Amino acid sequence: MQKWRSIVLFTVLVLALVPHAFASGRADSEEVVIHWPCIWVGADAKAAVVADLVDAYNAENAGSIRVVIEEMPDYAVYDRKIVAEIASGSPPDFFTLKWNADTRAYYESDILMDFTDELAAGWVPAISRESIAQATIDGRVKVLPYETAITPIWYNTEIFDQAGIADFPATIDEMWGTFEKLKSIGVIPTSQMTGGNNAFTTQMWFSHLVNSIGGPDIWSKPFTDPAFVEAASILKQFFENGNTTADAIGATAGVSSGHYMAGRTAIFSNGPWFIGNIRSNAPDIYSVTAISPAPAAGPYTGSQVGFTLTAFAAANTNDAARRAAILDFIGYLALPENAKAISLESGSLLTPEFTLDAGENMDPLQAEFIKLRDSATFLGRRFDTTVPVSVLDEFGPGIDELVAGRISPEEFVARLEAVR
Amino acid sequence: MIGKRRETIGNTLMLLPLILLFIAFFIYPLLYVIYTSLFEWNGFTRPDFVGIGNYGNLFRNVVFQTSARNNVVWVFSLGFLQVGLAALAAFILARKPKGWRFLRTVYFLPRVISAVAIALLWQTIYNAEYGALNAILSRIAGYPIRHNWLGSYGTALPAIVVQQVFYIGYFMIIVFASTTTIPRSYYEAAEMDGATTFQQERYITLPMARNTLVTSMTLAMAYGMRHFEPTFLMTGGGPGHSTSVLGLMMYKRIAQTKLGDAAAIGTLLVAIGFTLIMTIRRLLRGETYER
Repeated sequence: MQKWRSIVLFTVLVLALVPHAFASGRADSEEVVIHWPCIWVGADAKAAVVADLVDAYNAENAGSIRVVIEEMPDYAVYDRKIVAEIASGSPPDFFTLKWNADTRAYYESDILMDFTDELAAGWVPAISRESIAQATIDGRVKVLPYETAITPIWYNTEIFDQAGIADFPATIDEMWGTFEKLKSIGVIPTSQMTGGNNAFTTQMWFSHLVNSIGGPDIWSKPFTDPAFVEAASILKQFFENGNTTADAIGATAGVSSGHYMAGRTAIFSNGPWFIGNIRSNAPDIYSVTAISPAPAAGPYTGSQVGFTLTAFAAANTNDAARRAAILDFIGYLALPENAKAISLESGSLLTPEFTLDAGENMDPLQAEFIKLRDSATFLGRRFDTTVPVSVLDEFGPGIDELVAGRISPEEFVARLEAVR
Repeated sequence: MIGKRRETIGNTLMLLPLILLFIAFFIYPLLYVIYTSLFEWNGFTRPDFVGIGNYGNLFRNVVFQTSARNNVVWVFSLGFLQVGLAALAAFILARKPKGWRFLRTVYFLPRVISAVAIALLWQTIYNAEYGALNAILSRIAGYPIRHNWLGSYGTALPAIVVQQVFYIGYFMIIVFASTTTIPRSYYEAAEMDGATTFQQERYITLPMARNTLVTSMTLAMAYGMRHFEPTFLMTGGGPGHSTSVLGLMMYKRIAQTKLGDAAAIGTLLVAIGFTLIMTIRRLLRGETYER
C-alpha cells in the first residue's frame, strides 16, 4: 500500500514539474516581466525619481508589462556584472551600459537588441538624432545614448576666498601656485583616487591634460605619443607634496568625492550627475561650489571632456511581445516629461530634449554645466571611452606604480599601449 | 547473495542523484573550463583555437606571477596562522576558564557578519586620513601618522592578511568541538604524573586533535586558494597589482571578456590548489590516535 502511495506521489510530482521544465515561452495572456538591474538606486540622485517612474509605468501597464528593478548600488560591481552577463550570452532584459571600445564590440554579435528599424520609424523622437548617430555602427544602433556629460573641475569658492585666490587657475603653472596657497591655510588641494574600477576622478584629470596637450585628435594616436607622456608626468605631481589626500592611492570614488563634500579638499572633477548627490548630502559645500574648465596644460585651451555616459540596451529576443514591451518601456523613459523629471531631480544631462515650463527652474549648477558645455572650444574624449576594459583596468594600477616611482611616465603609457 | 545485490543497487540508487549533481555542477563545468582555456574567446564572437597559448601568456604575465605568489601566501596564512590561532584559542577555551562561553560566542560572532561589512569596517580602520589605526599610532607616537596601509606596497598585503587571519571563530569551533571529546581521565592521569598544562596540551590534546587540525588546515588552505572577497573589496588588487590573487585576476579577465584567459586561470587555480593542498596534507599526515 505504502509502495503504491509512493508511486502515485512521485507520478504527481513529475507531472507537476514537466510543464515547467519544458515551458519555452509565456502564454499570450501573461504579463511580460522586464528585469532591470539598475544602478540608479540607493543613494544615487536618480533613485527616487526613477523608482516613481517605474511604479507609475507598472500601474499604467498592470497585467501586461511589469518592470522589476534589481538594485545594484555599486558601480564597479554593476559594470562587471553586465559585462560578464553579456559575455556569457545572457544579458539582462533591459539595462544601462557605458559607451567604450568593448561596447562597440557587442555590435559584432546579435546578443543585444537592434533598435535600427524602430528608430527609422520615428521611435523615441525626443532623443537627439546627433547622439544616436554617435552610437551608430555600420548603420545599426544597438545601444541608445541616454545620458551625456562633461566633467569640468569643481572647486570650493569659500576655501578659495579664505586662501586669497580670486579666480580658478587658467594654466597648470598657475595651478601649482594655487595649490601652495591652499596648503598654506591647511587645506588639501585636490581629491584624487586610483581605486574603484576606473580611478574615475584621476582619470578625468588625465583626460583633461591629454586634451589640452594633444588636442581633439590625440585619442587616435598611440599612448606612447609625447602628449600622453607629458600628461602622465603632470598627473604624477598631483599625488606629490601633499597635493592630494594621503589615502588617494587605492581610494574609491566614494572616498574621493567624500573628501570634497566634507570640505577636506578644495578641488575635484566630476560630472553633472553628482549635483543631486552633493545638493542633498553636503548642501553647505554645494552652495559654495563653482565649476571651471581645467587649467591648460598645453596649447589647446577651453575644452571639456564630453561623452555619452549611459546608454540603454536590451537582450535580443525572438519573443515579439517581450521586444514590444522593452521598446515601450524605453520609449516611456525617453518621453520629454520623464527625462525632464530625472534631469531636474539629479542634475544629469540627458539626450531627450525637453523644455522647462513656467515656474520650473533648473539647478544653477546644472545650468552652469550646460553653459560650459556650450562654450567649450571642443569636447575632448574621456580616456575610458576610447579603450577596452582591459586597458582601463591597467590605468589605476599604473598610476599606483607611477606615483610610487616604480615606473616612469614613459613606462606607464607604454604599458597602456601594450595592453591595447 | 540477492540481499547483497539489492543493497548494492540500493546504495547506488541513493548515491545516484548526488553523483549526477556532482557531474553536472562540477565535472562538466571543469571539463568545459579546461576546453575553453584552449581558445581565444570574448563570449560573443567565434572562438579561435590557440592550444596552450593562453597558458604560455599567463606564465609570462607578471600579474599572474604576483597573483599566484599571493595565493600561496594566503594558503599558508590561513592554513597555518589562522588555524594555529584558532587551535590555541580552542585549547584554552576547552579548559573552560571564567567567561569561556562568552568568549566562544565573541570569537565566532564575526562569522555571521557579512564579509562585505567586515571589509568595509577594516577599510575604514586602515584609512590614511581618518582611520582608527593611524589615530592610535599617532597618539602613541606623539606626532601625526598618515600611513596609507592599503595603498602602500609594503603594508597592503599584510594588512588584508592580518584582518582575515584575525577571524578564527569558524576553525576555533571545529577544533573546540574535537577537543572537548577527549576523555578527562587522560588529563587527570597526566596531572597525577606531574605533567604541566603545556605538556598536557602538547602530548594529549595536540595528538588527539590531529585529524581535526589537518582537516581544518585543509579547509583553510582551500579558502586561501579561492581567496577573493576581502582583497576585491579592500584593495581591488592594488596598489598596482601587488595584492592581486588568481580569483580576482580571473574575475577581471571575465569582465574584460577574455574568457579563454579566464578559463586558463581557473584551470590553473584548480591544478595549483589541488597539488599544493595534497602535498601539504601528505606532509602533515602522521600517526593518529584511537580514543
